[in-house]
Amino acid sequence: MDAHIKKVYVPMTETGFYILLCLREESHGYGIVQQVQALTQGEVKLSPGTMYGSLSKMEKDGLIQFVREEDKRELYRITPLGRQVLELEMHRIERLYQNMMEVR
Amino acid sequence: MNATKTELRFFTVPEWEKEEAYLRQRHQEGWRLVRVTFPGLYHFQRCQPEDVVYQLDYNPEGIAHKADYVGLFQDCGWEYLQDYVGYSYFRKARAQMAEEETIFCDNASRMEMVERVYKGKMLPLLFLFLFVILPNLYLQAAAGNGVLLVLFALALLLYLVIFFKFSAAFRRCREALSP
Repeated sequence: MDAHIKKVYVPMTETGFYILLCLREESHGYGIVQQVQALTQGEVKLSPGTMYGSLSKMEKDGLIQFVREEDKRELYRITPLGRQVLELEMHRIERLYQNMMEVR
Repeated sequence: MNATKTELRFFTVPEWEKEEAYLRQRHQEGWRLVRVTFPGLYHFQRCQPEDVVYQLDYNPEGIAHKADYVGLFQDCGWEYLQDYVGYSYFRKARAQMAEEETIFCDNASRMEMVERVYKGKMLPLLFLFLFVILPNLYLQAAAGNGVLLVLFALALLLYLVIFFKFSAAFRRCREALSP
């Protein structure tokens, strides 16, 4: 993984994290919005401008790839590079969580 | 309820928030936006006064993949109105939101839109300035063509004013958004 990707995506935004998490299965922008709403009991509501911009950027950086089109919606899936970035982010969040629990 | 009116308004490139507020206010007063046309004509139609949030996005890639792009906004409950000079216009009634919504849910993506506007609007301007206006000033001066020289000098002045105004506004925008 090159330094640029690491610098931009570790740590990443909440939106970015949820996109990678959801795209382990193929999905489209609105599919991710709905899935995140369900996962967080409605606490995280992703907005379309943010979603569209993040998907384009992640595709350009090779973290996700376009798979196919269905009902005019573009479907994406995570790439091996995307998985590496997601792994790094998960480790970082685990560390944060553990440290938080130590002082709680 | 078929009354219409048209207003002429100019919002410089980084003033999309002012434009959003203006359109929302008109809708609250009972004038819904029908369309925007060159060079800044806002066409309204009489309607029931309602609090409707207007949002502008600037995303050339979205306009290139229109069905997918507009579809995502519509799925999220935003009505798509039109594109105008690179901006896409969306609106959603406040009553349809639990809390105030915008089309961006974090500052990182708001900043990315500012960067897209910068690339799409400011860089072409800089290009024109460097490769059309400056060379012509030199050429017309060398050829002793007084009229054209004055015209290009005026263009230079106008560009400098616009450029500094934009740059200042972008800096303010950047500072407001950076954590």
